[in-house]
Order: sequence, then C-alpha cells, then structure tokens
Amino acid sequence: MSGLRSRLAGTLDRLVDASPIERLIISVASLVFALVLGAVLIFASGFVATCNSPVVLVPGVGYGCYNPIEVYSTMLQGAFGSPSGLGQTLQEMTLLLFTGLSVAVAFRAGLFNIGTQGQMVLGGLATALTVLWIGQFVPNNFVGTLIVIPVGIAVGAVTGGFWGMIPGVMKAYADAHEVITTIMLNFIATAIAYYLVNNHVGNLESDSVLTETIPSVAQFPASISGSRFSLFALGGGLLASIGIYLLYTQTVLGYELRTSGLQETAAQYSGVNAGRNIVTSMTLSGALGGIAGAVYVMMVQYRWQAGIPSLGFDGIAVSILAGNNPIGIIPTSLLFGALKSGSLAINLSLGVPTELVEVIQGMIILFIAMPEFFRLIGKRSGFGSETPATSGGEQA
Amino acid sequence: MYADDESTDQPRTGTAAVHMDGITKRFPGVIANDDVDFVVEPGTVHALVGENGAGKTTLMNVLYGLYEPTDGTVRIDGVRREFGGPSDAMAAGIGMIHQHFMLVDTMTVAENVVLGNEPTKWGGFATDRATAIEETSALADQYGFDIDPTAQIDEISIGEQQRVEILKTLYRGADILILDEPTAVLTPQEVEGLFDILAELIAEGKTIIFITHKLGEALEAADDISVLRDGKLVGTVPTADTTQEELARMMVGRDVLLDLEKPNAERGSPVLEVDSLTVEDERDVTAVDEVGFTVNEGEVFGIAGVDGNGQSELIEAITGLQHASSGSITFDGSAITDSPRSERIGMGMAYIAEDRQKRSLVMEYDLRRNGLLGCQRLPEFSDGLRIDWDSTEKYVDEVIDEYDVRPPDPAAEAHSLSGGNQQKFIVGREFERDPSLVVASQPTRGVDIGSIEFIHDRLLDLRADGKAVLLVSSKLEEVRQLSDRLAVMYDGDIVAIVDPDAVSEEELGLLMAGEQPAGINAESARLRGRESA
Repeated sequence: MSGLRSRLAGTLDRLVDASPIERLIISVASLVFALVLGAVLIFASGFVATCNSPVVLVPGVGYGCYNPIEVYSTMLQGAFGSPSGLGQTLQEMTLLLFTGLSVAVAFRAGLFNIGTQGQMVLGGLATALTVLWIGQFVPNNFVGTLIVIPVGIAVGAVTGGFWGMIPGVMKAYADAHEVITTIMLNFIATAIAYYLVNNHVGNLESDSVLTETIPSVAQFPASISGSRFSLFALGGGLLASIGIYLLYTQTVLGYELRTSGLQETAAQYSGVNAGRNIVTSMTLSGALGGIAGAVYVMMVQYRWQAGIPSLGFDGIAVSILAGNNPIGIIPTSLLFGALKSGSLAINLSLGVPTELVEVIQGMIILFIAMPEFFRLIGKRSGFGSETPATSGGEQA
Repeated sequence: MYADDESTDQPRTGTAAVHMDGITKRFPGVIANDDVDFVVEPGTVHALVGENGAGKTTLMNVLYGLYEPTDGTVRIDGVRREFGGPSDAMAAGIGMIHQHFMLVDTMTVAENVVLGNEPTKWGGFATDRATAIEETSALADQYGFDIDPTAQIDEISIGEQQRVEILKTLYRGADILILDEPTAVLTPQEVEGLFDILAELIAEGKTIIFITHKLGEALEAADDISVLRDGKLVGTVPTADTTQEELARMMVGRDVLLDLEKPNAERGSPVLEVDSLTVEDERDVTAVDEVGFTVNEGEVFGIAGVDGNGQSELIEAITGLQHASSGSITFDGSAITDSPRSERIGMGMAYIAEDRQKRSLVMEYDLRRNGLLGCQRLPEFSDGLRIDWDSTEKYVDEVIDEYDVRPPDPAAEAHSLSGGNQQKFIVGREFERDPSLVVASQPTRGVDIGSIEFIHDRLLDLRADGKAVLLVSSKLEEVRQLSDRLAVMYDGDIVAIVDPDAVSEEELGLLMAGEQPAGINAESARLRGRESA
C-alpha cells in the first residue's frame, strides 16, 4: 500500500511539474492511446453489428463488420481529405472558437456561463433580422459586404452581450447563481426566438420556423469551393483569441477580471468593484456567444432557423480542454471541429452508427482531458515541487 | 509499515514515546528537515518552536505519516515504524490536530467524533447514533471537557471545535497527540482552557507535541522545548532551565532587540481625521460606534484591544472595503467617507490587511503579478488601460531586494512563500510606493521574529519620514512600543486615548476589558488625544 501510494504521489508530482513541451507530448500520447483503444472498440463492436460486406471472419466468433484502420482513415479523410471536408472542419472550428472563448472569458472570472447557447441563439436572430433590413440599402458588391458583415457582427455581439449581462447583474446585485440563471435564460432565449420567428418576423409561408434568406452581401465570402467556410470568419476568431489573451496579460481590465475570478477578496483589496466586474465578464462572454450566432447565420445557414446546433454547450468542453486559455482554444476547437466533420463522414460512408462515433469522440476528449485534470487536482492538493512545508505553515 | 525485525538488532532507545533519528526531508530544491533528532519523553508536553518555514510542520507531517522521510528512522515507544500514511500512524497511536479543523460543519459533535469509526447497528447497515452520543459523552467526561455531543459544529465556538478535534483523535485511540499551532485561532481565555485540557490529557497518561511560534505559550505549557531553525534542530531544553531571550536567540541565531529604538520624528499636520464614525457589520449590528480620532504626520497612532471589538470594521471603513453608516473620514484634507477604495489608493493610502492570504495577496499569482495588486491603476504602473510590465518588474525586483524576500524569485507563486516572506513582500509593495498614510492591521501576526523586527523598523522609518501610520494590533507589546499615542477599543468604542509610556500594562489590560482604571478618566484621555492632534 505504501509503495503504491508513493508511486501515485510521484506520478502526480511529475505531472504537476511537467513543462509545456512535456504536457504537449502527454496530450499527443493520450490521443494515440485513445485512438488505439477506440480501434479495439470499433473492431469488437463490428462482431455484433450486421452488415452486407463483412471485413473479417474470425473462426468461432463470426464476421466482423468494421475495420478500425478504415474507420480512422475515413475519419481523417472526412475531416481533412477533401476541400469540402476541410471546409466543414474549419467551419465548425470557427464557431467553436467563438463559443469556446465565450465560456473561457466567464471561467477566467470565476463564473460558469452555461448560457452561451442562448446568447448565440438571440445574437444570431438579431443579426439575421438586421442584415435582412439593411441589406436593402447597401450596394450589392464588396462595399456592401464591408458594411453589412461588420454591422451584423456588432448587432450579434450587442444582443448576446445584453443577454449575458442579465445573469451578470442578477449575480452581482441579487446573488443569483449564474449556473441556474443562464440555464433558465437559454430556454427563454430559444422560446422568444421561436415565437418571434414563427409568428412575426420569420418566413410565415414556410412550414419550418425560419427567417428569409439573408442577401448575398451579408454572406461571408466562401473560401473553399463546395463549402460555405470563410477564412475571414476564421481569421476573426483567431484575432479574437489573441485579443482576449492580450486583454488578460497586458491590460488593467484583464488583470482585474482575472484577479476577481481567482480571489474576490484580494480583488476588492486592490480597489476593484467586484459587482461591476461580474457584469463586465458576463457581458463580454455573452458578446462572444452573440458573435458565434452572427457567424452561424452569415456563414453557415444564411438565415436564422430553429434548431441551432448545441455549439454553446460544445464550447464548454472546448474551453475546459484548453484550460480556459484563449490561445489553447485554437487547437482544441480545431480538434473538435475535425471530430465533428470526420464522424459525419464515417457515418455516411461506412454506416458506422453515430452512437459509436460519439463514443470514440468522448473517449478522445476524456483521454486528453484526464492528464490535465489530474494535474489540476495534484496542484490543488499540494503535489509538485512547491514545498508544502513553507506554504502550509503558519497562517494568521 | 509495521514493526521492523531489524529494530531488535539495534539498541532500543529507552522509553522515549517518540524518537525521530536523523530525519531528513527533501523537496525539490529545498531541504525542509536536515538530520533532525527529535525525542519526546512519554507523559510530557513538548513544544516545537521555530520561525516560519523552519520545518516544524514538515517534521510533524513525517511523524504523522503524511510525508515519507528522505532519510532517518522513526521509533514509537522504542519500536521502529514506517508509515505509509496517516492511517498507519493512527494505528500506532499517533493523532494530529491540524491548524485548520477537519470537521463537518453540518454534523453534530458526536457524529464528527465517531466519523470513520462509527458504531453501527442492524448488522452494520446504520450508524448507531445513541451509542455515538454515549461514547462521546463518556470520553468528554473522562477528560473533563464541557461539551454537548448533540450540538452542531457550526453552532459552537472555535475553542469548542478544537476540543471536538481532540476528542476525535482520542476516540481513535491516540496516545501521542500532535497539535499544529493550536493557539493561533483561539482567544486568550480559550488558550487558558486549552492548556488546562493539555494538563488533563497528561494526567491521563497521554503525550503531547505542540507546534507554536509563541515563546510565551511554549514556556507556559510545555515541559520540554525543541527549537528548529532552517530545518535543523538547534536544541532541546527543559522549560525550567530556559528563558524567552534564550529561546529567541536559538530561533533566530542572534540576539533579538526586544526593546526598540525609536528614531525621532517630527509630528506634523493631520493626515487622517475620523469623526463620529459608525460602521455596521454584515449582520447590521453596530460594530463601530461613533469613533473619532486623528492621525498626524510623523506619528504612529496605535489601536489596542482584544480582537473583535470593532477594529476590523473600523479599518475596513477607513480603507474603503466597508461602508460607513454615518460619520466622516477625511484624508489629506478631502472627505473620503464614500469614496471607492481605488480612489483612496490613488491618494496615497497603503494598507497591510489583517488576513494577508485572503486580502493582500492572490495566492496563485506569482510575485510579479502580486506586485501589481492594488497598484494596477496608479500612473507608475499603467496608463489605466495597458499595464506597464517593465516598470512593474523593476518595482517587484526592488521590493524583493530591499525587503529581503526569500526566495528572491519574482516568478515564485505567493503560496510557495513562508508567512514571514509573504508579509515582507506585502510590506515592501505597500511602503515603496511612497504613501502618505499607512494603515497596518496585525502586521506581524503569524510572522517569525526576524521578520517582525524588520517590519517594525520599516514602520518607524516611515514615521521618521513624516508619514502617518495607523497601527492595529492585538499584541499589546507591539502597539505599546511602536505607538506615539495609543487608543484602546472596547465594544466598538474607543474607551481611551493614552500615552503608551505613561500607562502600565495592567491599566491597558483593564481598559481592554472595558473597565475604567483609577487615574485614567476616559474623557480626559480622549481630550488629551484630541489636543495633541
């Protein structure tokens, strides 16, 4: 028992002390490990599935339907192998970049914003309605686009920001927990949007709940043929990541927001207005969610339509996997984007059920997140090279 | 894990309850314990003293099985032991009461005492609460504890919670009890109560080790005292053969000036004026009741009193962390009663908060970022938008250098520093930006002697420079020696403002207890304070 305990403690020590390079290696190794285990799982479940053309016969066991190598290569092909696949991957990445940032900004301030989804839904609707309206007044060329898209983004950001501000105010001045209020506001946002589009502002002739298609000046110019993905949107997302990184490392506001998130009492000591900071963080978080909605409308759907995918919730996973680091969100959103478009491909071309694909996806996320999770736990419980003797001693 | 056969080959160490032999504990880059021989005789109270970071807690964590020693052996009652964890140590009869209690707030005393070893009924399917209460009562009676086994933890006082912790270890059958800084959280009365309990435990045949850095307490309660310095054992002395001065010398390795030399200072115009200030605490109870005083340039104005008589609320109202319900605060001629804290910082108010790990430092930030805490909107550090990291780094390097912060590494995170070094860093950060008023609340609480002396010197330097200093401390000696004028707070009111050299410790003690000693008329004392303002 003592041997196991000290071995575990040693492992935790090493994890906590790991350098950034080592952590990267650990993450890549975890990915490989998850893929190997996933392969075994795919292969094994192939024996209980039924199919027309089995790939392998194991005497005494039966026919196996899935070839793991084929599954993975299809997944990779689907995510990166064709222009349209790559477009799909990057499109998902762009959206997840914004929703991930939205969640990260709240997390950095010590707040758990589950409301990114609602902020996105309303931000997207506001954008759609705005660009439909101003689209009539601008010239139908790139000058028009230069006007309409920034306005659409701004309207999405303001609407999402307003929707994020509400739980912020409730938290700061009425002590209402943001997890509860943001979840409730998600339902309210979806219901409001549905009602408005279904009854007032949408395409009332259509059987579906959707708005008119936005004019072409409001559509992000597609960068890859066969896809609606636009490099401008992705570039904007990358700039937003860098901007938020700089906000936290270089500006007084970012320093104050981060301090409030880490230790509110110390933030008050430093002269920060804690309540105002909560509102600021939630507004900024909501604005990023709103931008995700705007991009979704202007790059993906070209209209607002009920049943917006749960990008806001996926943003939570993207952010946590990146340790809420705005730069780290760039690779994690790419990973999630690739998983999404890749799994689409294996379902379509190999008939592997989406459930199994989701299991593989979940395993990859779990495996990559676990070392970081244990690192966090280890750090919290005093492992690593810091001497607990000098930190745990006399406290007044 | 259990008795080692080899131990029979080696000479047994008499009857020592604890014999730690050549204990070395290394952490990466640090030797926390260096070849320590620590012997505790059975049936005695043994105090383990030393400065912050001297390795006291590490040594006890080794004894309690929390750390495996890098080198050295542990013998309990002459039998060699190797502990893989606290459960092994408990099995060997060792119990540890940590500074921060490990109790479940929403459970009763009896439930906490039996937690982990619950008596059961219905074949082990349910906790037998009646038996738990019975056993807890019996145990409490045996050791003379006055405690209600059915009371809920969050409804009883800190002192009582500590007794529950002691009962818990006794319930688990501990014969050797380790107490980590047991008096740090207690009021003076509760400290006396604790010492009575220790005596009772000894009478019942237990052995006690307690960690402290308060020499007075070690001398009062212990039979033997061991001193650690820089991870090494300086020596073990019987209490009867030693003095406070000798212990202090052993702790810091040199003579400590227990009497301060005050440089001269010119008293100037008023810097802080507080007039009939009333502050209510979070429960809307009046904590500060129409208090008034003035702090002048070149003066240390001290506030003495037993903790919890309104000092914290008064200080937080002055520094802008709490709202004043009525009255006024004037700083450098402008009314700041309702100004936000950031404005007061900008005007040159430095603040050393009572609870440094909660207020004055962000524990997860490195020193570089902590150096900016509170300064982030001052023109030297930012333009209000962008942080000037270059000048921040320069400032932090200067503070680390001038205030001898160890380790001298701006990238070290605050929680990795010892308490004394944390405080030196805070003092440096607050003093180096040239404040006109310093509000220092318990500036040397939980700080080692070397750092205390250093902080005192710096406070007096500021006074000599013509700054105003408002000092709150529950250490009577400290406020008496440093203050030019001394206010005594009792029950939210300043009961007297006196000349610290003209009153005796007894008179101050009476004032702090809310009584009026003969010869000191509160009104006249108060007037005297105002006149000299």
